[in-house]
Amino acid sequence: MKENLMDIICCPLDKHDLELDVTERDDEEILAGTLTCTECGETYPIEDGIPNLLPPDMRDEAPA
Amino acid sequence: MTDDATTDGEADGLDPSDQRAAVRDRYGSITTESPSDSCCDTSCSDETTAEADRLGYSDEDVATVDPDAYLGLGCGNPTAIAELNRGEDVLDLGSGGGFDCFLAAQAVGDDGRVVGVDMTPEMVERARETAETTDASNVEFRLGEIEHLPVPDESVDVILSNCVVNLSPDKPQVFREAYRVLRPGGRLAVSDVVLTADLPVDLAADPDSVAACVGGASTVEEIEAMATDAGFVDVAIEPDDDSEAFIREWDDERDLSDYVVAATIEGTRPDAAH
Repeated sequence: MKENLMDIICCPLDKHDLELDVTERDDEEILAGTLTCTECGETYPIEDGIPNLLPPDMRDEAPA
Repeated sequence: MTDDATTDGEADGLDPSDQRAAVRDRYGSITTESPSDSCCDTSCSDETTAEADRLGYSDEDVATVDPDAYLGLGCGNPTAIAELNRGEDVLDLGSGGGFDCFLAAQAVGDDGRVVGVDMTPEMVERARETAETTDASNVEFRLGEIEHLPVPDESVDVILSNCVVNLSPDKPQVFREAYRVLRPGGRLAVSDVVLTADLPVDLAADPDSVAACVGGASTVEEIEAMATDAGFVDVAIEPDDDSEAFIREWDDERDLSDYVVAATIEGTRPDAAH
């Protein structure tokens, strides 16, 4: 995901801001890390450059 | 008194989680098959061009976007309906292989941004790979659900969607979410199938039919009501009579154009003054 798109991302549940924690990046591109909701505390993983912002119950339904 | 087994609306549809699973299974497996149901492989670009032409894409559209992004799963060209301007921020609901997002990215230019949301991991992975290889710097793909958009209030100018809303188990919520994320004055530009006749009960209850954009389709009146209830104004739904030709090819056993037609669905979020 791209850092310059952080202003148009939010928690899918309560729509509050997400805090970005980067563990791997390639310039502007964030390859791995987490996004944590500043309100409800739910964390959303970023894996292989893709932020997984599915609601948690759907994330669990997703095939591995 | 019990509800009759009507074939419209959500009442008789599948359980929402079954519906999501059917949709995800279908679209997850498509990414690992050939680029499009009706196309042999990436070498048959003439067929891709002809098919895309029927959906309303120009030859230039097809030529300027990486062929890996085109899966032939749409039913129109929402980027044309939207008449995008330079610098606009665009959100695509159910972005799939990313074709419409890449077209939109060219239209809005470097000052604009495009976000695609899709709930199928294989689709998002594929679209992201294409973005990487084509160096598209103003496009991003996210795993997300269109009923729970990971996008803040009033943050985009245009919403695109191509043959996806019909797949949702909660369409009114999709329209409410679309309205929420649009800036005042922002617009909705959707291609989707609409129901023109009552579906046989076996089709309406069949997960494969729902996943194939038929079983979950709504009528023009239902879509109009959903969009209006969400707050959209200037709602316009235009069936595309020419779509009969390609819809007829969607099923070998029966002519689905007896029941559904492709349509453009437009609406506007009113300006702040109210």
